[in-house]
Amino acid sequence: MQNKPLSFSVDIRLNQRRNLLNFDYSIVLTVFLLGLFGLAMIYSASGSFTLVLRQAMYFFLGVILMITAAMSNFRKMEPIYLNAVWIGFFFLVLVLILPNSGTTNRWINLGFIGFQPSELMRFLLPISAAAYLTRNPQIKLSDWIIVLVTTLVAFILVFLQPDFGTSAIVLLSGIMPIILSGLPWRFIIYSFLGGIGTLPFLWMSLMDYQKERIYTFISPQADALGSGWNIAQSKIAIGSGQFFGKGYMEGSQSQLDFIPESHTDFIFAVIVEEFGFLGALGLFLLYAFLIHRLLYVAKSSNSKFAKLVSATLSIILAAYITLNISMVVGIFPVVGMPLPFISQGGTALVVNMITIGIILSLRRTT
Amino acid sequence: MNNFSRERFKTGEEYSRALFFLSPFILLFSISLFQVLNLTLFQGDKYQTIAESNRIYQKPISPVRGFIYDRNGTLLAENIVQRDLYVTPAYIEDSAETILKLSNLLDVPYELLDESFSRGVKKVKKFDSFPLVKALNEEQIAKAKVNLDSISGIEVKATLKRYVLHEETLAHVLGYVGDISSEDIRRDKLLAELQNIQIGKTGIEKEFDYVLRGNPGIQTQERDVKGKLVRILDTQGAEDGKDIYLTIDQKLQDHLFKLFENRRGALVALEPKTGLVRALISSPSFNPNILNSIVDTDEVESLFSNKESPIFNRAISGQYPPASTLKPFVGLAAIENEVISWDKKIKDDGEFYVEGDPRPYRGWKENGHGRVDMRKAIAESSDVYFYNIAFDLTLAGIRPMLDSFGFGKKTGLTDFEANGLLPDKKWKLGYKGDFWFKGDTINLGIGQGYILATPLQLAMAYSGLANKGVIYHPQFIQPEDEKSFEPKKIAEIQLSDNKAWEKMEQALVDVISARNGTAHKVFDANSVVIAGKTGTAQIKSILPGKEYDAIRENPALRDHALFVGYGPVEDPKLVVAVIIENGESGSEVAAPIVKSAINFYTGGFDAE
Repeated sequence: MQNKPLSFSVDIRLNQRRNLLNFDYSIVLTVFLLGLFGLAMIYSASGSFTLVLRQAMYFFLGVILMITAAMSNFRKMEPIYLNAVWIGFFFLVLVLILPNSGTTNRWINLGFIGFQPSELMRFLLPISAAAYLTRNPQIKLSDWIIVLVTTLVAFILVFLQPDFGTSAIVLLSGIMPIILSGLPWRFIIYSFLGGIGTLPFLWMSLMDYQKERIYTFISPQADALGSGWNIAQSKIAIGSGQFFGKGYMEGSQSQLDFIPESHTDFIFAVIVEEFGFLGALGLFLLYAFLIHRLLYVAKSSNSKFAKLVSATLSIILAAYITLNISMVVGIFPVVGMPLPFISQGGTALVVNMITIGIILSLRRTT
Repeated sequence: MNNFSRERFKTGEEYSRALFFLSPFILLFSISLFQVLNLTLFQGDKYQTIAESNRIYQKPISPVRGFIYDRNGTLLAENIVQRDLYVTPAYIEDSAETILKLSNLLDVPYELLDESFSRGVKKVKKFDSFPLVKALNEEQIAKAKVNLDSISGIEVKATLKRYVLHEETLAHVLGYVGDISSEDIRRDKLLAELQNIQIGKTGIEKEFDYVLRGNPGIQTQERDVKGKLVRILDTQGAEDGKDIYLTIDQKLQDHLFKLFENRRGALVALEPKTGLVRALISSPSFNPNILNSIVDTDEVESLFSNKESPIFNRAISGQYPPASTLKPFVGLAAIENEVISWDKKIKDDGEFYVEGDPRPYRGWKENGHGRVDMRKAIAESSDVYFYNIAFDLTLAGIRPMLDSFGFGKKTGLTDFEANGLLPDKKWKLGYKGDFWFKGDTINLGIGQGYILATPLQLAMAYSGLANKGVIYHPQFIQPEDEKSFEPKKIAEIQLSDNKAWEKMEQALVDVISARNGTAHKVFDANSVVIAGKTGTAQIKSILPGKEYDAIRENPALRDHALFVGYGPVEDPKLVVAVIIENGESGSEVAAPIVKSAINFYTGGFDAE
């Protein structure tokens, strides 16, 4: 049993030169398109060149890390992946301990650069979980339980920040490897029902502003000048874009600051206002294509680890895309989630690009 | 454990499971796409409109309201700069703290500001401002300007407000202005397009609002979410209102207003030969500036709830029994219908009876005036004489003459005057549910009973006497050149004997000039010769067995005193109708005002 991985690595070493740059370029191209489009939209939404420059630097960093990750040998990386989760825990605890201004503790400031540990966790956790679950050919019940406990601890740490949206993502990112790795359906169903049972307790532990967001979603008119105003303005922006849009930098809703958080969470509204339904359709197709290609890795790989990691990370990415867009178009409550590769925000961009890089590396070595 | 290991991990299942758990997101993704389709294509036009209204702000540019002058060019109403303290709630972090600061700074009670603030917040949109303190005084302006920067969301804005110079004196003629109410818009849809502009609510301000108001301009601005101006898209300048010159003689008006001494009553003075109104008073009056710029709502409320109704324009809307001032017209009707001749005498022993009715119709003088002809009956105001001729004339004989002198219909001076009331059989059946009795006709003969007239109608009817039958359309707007002005005739009464006019005038001159005239008390050799008639309007009919002395203990039931007259008789320049409510004696309280008016106007002894 111990010899088997070794024999694989030998194989890979032999093919390394030939395979180093052999990855799915359509994915890379899509990510480039999205990232560059994002930079353009951030400029339109914020009008700040400084902001675009900073995001561009993150994008550049992301490209390097993505390519690096893509060229790596995931078999060799497995021990690192297995323990990567501790890095995530370290920062999650640190962010809670460090004094912070405001009501939420989400950021760690390294002086020149700030980042969100929760964003880091939602990609380190599934990788570690997948590595842990597949370290032996056969998965034991205790493995699943350990992963579950680890996930719940991570979830609670993020929830305490408090960050409802990301904590849900962290929960999903830890649970998906458990489910995908073959947890019997009855366990899944029991847990699902159990999860519903805890909803009232979850509701009670929500912060007032989080409850308000859900109220607002249920009845946006009730608070037309408060948080309902955000959704209303976002819908006005989208609707007024009509079929062809108002043109780049021509959206009155975004240029005159009627759209809240227009360069971060609500950037989709700016895109539709300025590029219309056509622009939205294009973006949807790009995202659908990206998820499709990423899932193809999970389908075609014959490595259990690769399947788990690529499937989980693809689902997380799909969740971000879907939840952000459905929030902006007003069919889902406002949860603070950025639109992958497009919203302004360094940590999310870099993490998403590393995610792509890792999935690419999984494909390359299949 | 054993049991568990049987359920082995199956290769390939992770992909199908991934698709299964991806499916809710795929569903949500599809719904989102449909929602984008719905918003952009199906509701795109609607949202396009909303987005435009978000962005575009139509800032009205207020026109300057026209000034009002009297016939001599004396300024009556102008506009003054008023500085108001405006507050934008969106920029205020702590409203309680801001209000406290302002309260100390401006020396205004906290509660007052707090109330004004919470009332205003409800009315405005997020980034709009509203006036918190109106009409700041000099000290407040100075203090506010120094400290304004330290308080966010506060600014001092200057607006033009209507200001009436002579305050109470001309209040009812000029009227007042105010903000456009929803009721105004219901009456005139075009008003909905005007913002931040005051419109006339009553009087000249209302009647000639379309002249005075001008047309507001519009600046089309693009504004950002904070209401900050981004750029100006278009500007259409305002067209200022035009000035108006009134026929009013402010000196005469001032002089007469003082004579009222705040007693309840009214006066109308106009030129019989042109219909130009020279003075119009309703007393007690009010200060229109209180309403032109409402600063203190309590003050306004007390104005409207005042029992003396200072806002009410008695001169054109007050309807009174004309009483004995109606007698000349009944007399002319009798002559015209040959019910009586000028020389025929009737015995007046103080009472008049209708056959078969034991109830006496009493004259004002207990034992009567003896044998009286028309001239004496007018001069002494014999009731019994007029009971007799009214009885003979019947309603059908009296009404046409009164109708041709304008009783019971609007004169056309303004849109807001009352009709008065010239009763007939149909009216009585309809409104009183009763038939017309002979007694009603007899009462009509002395101007009592159902008949009602406004002071304006009385002045107009007497202008007909002064002009020997011609009545001119009354007006407030001063013609550019009085000499070439051709007034519009509204009535031309023909009598079969033209001498009747002079004979009636002689009787009316006797009222003051003759020793036995009812108003001989005001006779003055220095005065111009005035023709006129006293009147004492009963408010409450005196029931048998009750004396007037008992009634008059309640001041509100005392008789109204009237006098209507014109002069100088040889060339009538002014006709004046005066009523003093509960003034009791026409000769004592009303006639002196008429005399003073005519003399003042014609440059007689009362003039300055």
